[in-house]
Amino acid sequence: MAASAKRRRGWRKRLGALARFTGALVIVGGLYSVFSPSLYAQEAEDNAIDSEVVKGQELYDTSCISCHGDDGEGIEGRGPSLIGVGSAAVEFQVNTGRMPMAAQGAQAPDSDYPVFDEEEAAWLGAYIEYLGGGATVPDDLAALVENADVGEGGDLYRVNCSSCHGYAGGGGALSSGAHAPALIGVSDEEIYQAMLTGPQNMPVFADNELTPEQKADIIAYVQYVVNDDKDPGGVFTLGRYGPSTEGLAIFLVGMTALLLTTLWIAGKS
Amino acid sequence: MSAHNDSARDEVEPVDLRDPKLTRFEVYKEGLRRDDIEIIHYEPRFPKPGTKLEKRMERIVGGLFLLSGLFATLFVVAFIWWPWEYEGAATWRDPQTWYTPVIGFTLGFSLLFFAVGVLTWAKKLLPVEELVQDRHDGGSSHEDRRIAESTVDTIVDDMGLRRRPFLVKTALLAAAPLGLAAVAPLGALLKDPGDMYTVTGWNAERYNDGDPIRLMMKDGALVRPDMVSAGGQITVYPAIDHGATNQFPTAPTLLIHLRETDAATLRGNLYPMYQDVDALWGNFVAYSKICTHVGCPASLYEQQSQRLLCPCHQSQFNVVDNAAPVFGPATRHLPMLPITVDDEGFFIATSDFLVPPGPAFWNRPSLPEEDEK
Amino acid sequence: MKRRKGSNDSLLTKAGGELDDRFKLAGPARVLFNKVFPDHWSFLLGEIALFSFILLLLSGTFLALFFEPSMVEVTYNGAYVPLQGIEMSRAYESALDLSFEVRGGLFMRQMHHWATLLFMASILVHMLRIFFTGAFRAPRETNWMIGILLFWVGFFEGFFGYSLPDDGLSGTGLRIMEGMTASVPFIGPWASAALFRGQFPGTDVISMIYIIHVFIFPLILLALITVHVALVFIQKHTQWPGPGRTEHNVVGFRMFPNYVMKQVGFMLFIWGVVAAMAGLFQINPIWLFGPYEVSVVSSASQPDFYVMYLDGLIRLFPAWEFRVPPYFTLPAVFWPAIAGMGLSVLLPLVYPALERRFTKDRGHHNLLQRPRDNPGRTSLGVMIVIFWVIGAVSGGNDVFAEKFDISLNAMTWAGRIGIVILPIIAYYVTYRICLGLQQHDREVLAHGLETGILMRDPNGRFYEVHQPLAEPDEHGHTELEYNGWVVPKKMNRVGALPPTDRGFFKSIEEPSENGAARDEIESGKH
Repeated sequence: MAASAKRRRGWRKRLGALARFTGALVIVGGLYSVFSPSLYAQEAEDNAIDSEVVKGQELYDTSCISCHGDDGEGIEGRGPSLIGVGSAAVEFQVNTGRMPMAAQGAQAPDSDYPVFDEEEAAWLGAYIEYLGGGATVPDDLAALVENADVGEGGDLYRVNCSSCHGYAGGGGALSSGAHAPALIGVSDEEIYQAMLTGPQNMPVFADNELTPEQKADIIAYVQYVVNDDKDPGGVFTLGRYGPSTEGLAIFLVGMTALLLTTLWIAGKS
Repeated sequence: MSAHNDSARDEVEPVDLRDPKLTRFEVYKEGLRRDDIEIIHYEPRFPKPGTKLEKRMERIVGGLFLLSGLFATLFVVAFIWWPWEYEGAATWRDPQTWYTPVIGFTLGFSLLFFAVGVLTWAKKLLPVEELVQDRHDGGSSHEDRRIAESTVDTIVDDMGLRRRPFLVKTALLAAAPLGLAAVAPLGALLKDPGDMYTVTGWNAERYNDGDPIRLMMKDGALVRPDMVSAGGQITVYPAIDHGATNQFPTAPTLLIHLRETDAATLRGNLYPMYQDVDALWGNFVAYSKICTHVGCPASLYEQQSQRLLCPCHQSQFNVVDNAAPVFGPATRHLPMLPITVDDEGFFIATSDFLVPPGPAFWNRPSLPEEDEK
Repeated sequence: MKRRKGSNDSLLTKAGGELDDRFKLAGPARVLFNKVFPDHWSFLLGEIALFSFILLLLSGTFLALFFEPSMVEVTYNGAYVPLQGIEMSRAYESALDLSFEVRGGLFMRQMHHWATLLFMASILVHMLRIFFTGAFRAPRETNWMIGILLFWVGFFEGFFGYSLPDDGLSGTGLRIMEGMTASVPFIGPWASAALFRGQFPGTDVISMIYIIHVFIFPLILLALITVHVALVFIQKHTQWPGPGRTEHNVVGFRMFPNYVMKQVGFMLFIWGVVAAMAGLFQINPIWLFGPYEVSVVSSASQPDFYVMYLDGLIRLFPAWEFRVPPYFTLPAVFWPAIAGMGLSVLLPLVYPALERRFTKDRGHHNLLQRPRDNPGRTSLGVMIVIFWVIGAVSGGNDVFAEKFDISLNAMTWAGRIGIVILPIIAYYVTYRICLGLQQHDREVLAHGLETGILMRDPNGRFYEVHQPLAEPDEHGHTELEYNGWVVPKKMNRVGALPPTDRGFFKSIEEPSENGAARDEIESGKH
């Protein structure tokens, strides 16, 4: 018990240190932006988009810089460089609540309550895009998905995606505590951004590996199978996990019901 | 109760069945006696017919039967008239998605109601009874055994099994090959495994007239270096006839484009056998997708932790160290496919895998490099 | 024979006479009608397996009308949109058609699969009952061995059925089986080539396991089940010890009408549960898995639960490969898969003989033992159950890891350590619990029941009043012997009174005699 209290204290210490460090960075960054004439602020007068870059930088300097470093150059052992990852990656990570990360760990979990709203995510994206361009989501994604071939998408999904996300998009475990998230309820844009940028452990599926059309096929398949189609086989789908939950169900439902029945049948009346 | 008065026959006197005054129950009890059964307790549950409680029980059981019939009817009706055909993605509002639940529910509950009806009948309306029957455990009587022994001996002697050992020996001698002949047809199943484990679809001599085999994607597109970006991976197959089908189960390969630093690490770790054949091309590496444990596709590529995970038994392979196993039950690295790029800019395999991919077998050839690590 | 008059000469009597004239049934039928069966809930577990087997035959026959075990390559053009235009085997296509384009086909498929799981689950539970009560002892060792064989034939029958649709999951299962087969020293590659007619997966394996699944194994199962049930019938069922019950009798009720009515009711109940589950719970949604392709796999690939413990052992077994380069390799998978399965077949088969040898008990036993009365065996059983459960959970450790956010590697290590240590702890704990329960039974027999009434003696000492179960001697001890019967532990279990009132909302009819007597006593008190 003493050991666990000690560990908790160590934890708190580290969290505190992190908070102090972040705070110091915020203050330094804030002072810097007050006293020094900003390079980007000047450029903002020329172009309306650049005002988004400035807003993005402000957000970046408060929330991201502690791990990803000055100007997105990355900090060894904390966070990777963001130069060249592009706005799609940023918007995926921020809109799904994966970033800013609450704590360093094997997995950056998604959250229903992202720290930034979509507008702010777009500013951050613009800033990172400014630091070095990267992949973006095509504007006509909706039309692409509309005309996609679900069957072809299924074929591609099974070769490229199911090994981690599972046949039914329920997600799956990776090594040492990481996991591939479930695809339930995710938007077309998020799927596209994830494929394009390869967040965390996910491999990159850039446009030269899967064309935008093929990505749209995969999105159409995922939305059809995971989100649109109600399973025809029953009221309870057992999470579509396959045999593991089915095995639980036969004992918890079938065997339990029948064991109670044997008690009733053989009970004295 | 001691073991001595177990036998019901000892206690109950046999009755004379010719006696015309015997009641039905007395005749019945004589049957029980002949089967060594004694009634300990036998009491009709409702000695007075037509009581309120009995009527109620009858109503319950009858009601259950009627409910069962109702549900069976509903099942038949739903089976025939409920819309059932699959018409593309449907939500729970569409009736056809409820076809299976509805027929399952109605059939299930029809059976359950009938079952509970029968069981209630048995539990609540049958007489309360307890009977005891002799078990007669432990073999036949001494007499029966002696008779059986003599019978068998007589049969044996009639055949002369003891007197004619020559016949017995020759019969046994013939029976062995005859038995073999009986199972010999199963031998038709045998097939020489040959080199099925050691030669894959990447063998240029066998499958491509000796010309180097190109890498293709599942849809047949040939693979160029610019088709995989850093941190990306694709599954590639030999660009031969049916190369991407199940005819070549050991051919699927994972082509990974490593980031610069990772590629450098891998080059530093490379086994000599792969150094000798210059197995990497640029920052590209190709590993067999077939797990060396029992053959599932080890295809969960974690581009950050640089591991390949097999989803069947959780073997983990280190991508930047020759895909050597780092966790789980796998014992051997995923073989590397030596690759380069030809004049037209397409990836080719410079040879087959150097060691057989997939699960091991007793006489699996291995190179010494494998055992060093 | 003199004909009876009037009302007795019913249609039934007439039909019986006609039958008896031809088949001479009166004697044997009487023996059958009168046979006495003991009554206990735990004697009904094997029936779950028996009746789900009948349901398996029925639903399987329906499926066989539509399924085509062919590995011919076709292009799917059926109703299920996401697979349209995909190349697949005819086996998979017909399984999809069965699910989407045959009226009630999906329901039947699900019923067949649920019945399989119930069949295997009930065999396991039944086997535990037999084991823990010592029902496998002489003269029933043969039937125990038949039961073990039934489990293993069912195991492979189920696995082959799982493999038939040729979907992504079943192909993955076959591939793992191929890897296991190939690991057998010397004969492995030949055995694998014989099973798949050459290299895995080939084009023959589905039709080969089809004939095994629908003909050979069901026939073996049917034959074994027939002998199994016949032996129970001939040897007469075991019974729990209790008043009037000895090694030489059977106490219970008659086969007709009591036993048969309960059996029929139970059979329909089991079928009802399976049918309801088949309608309400989706099982094995093959349309999500796609056709089997050697380069395709899914996370959370698992076998059905009865194979899962073996898969778990394969996952947990360390990476120990024995090599004598370049001549010989013994793959790691050989130990859990082939040796492990071999032991799982062999050890239960010989267990009755082993127990006979070690206890030197060669007598016949028709009375069951309560688990507490044989602590050694009970603890061994619990040990095996814990081993099995850890194996089965490890078989799904990736699903656990993902759903409960545990590290996969930690799950594997927990399984590796747990499967060695926990069974030993379980053995010890169970042994102590058994002895404790026995001890308490003996105390009750010697001193009587705890009544919960506290008294204070003149010295100020508190003590609890005990209700002796028999006339006590001057020390307050009774001379009841401990003989394996159930010992009452509560006052109201002594000569348990029947319920007085019937009816749910209001009482119906006159209370029974006992109840009336009790009412009088109670009203007299107040």
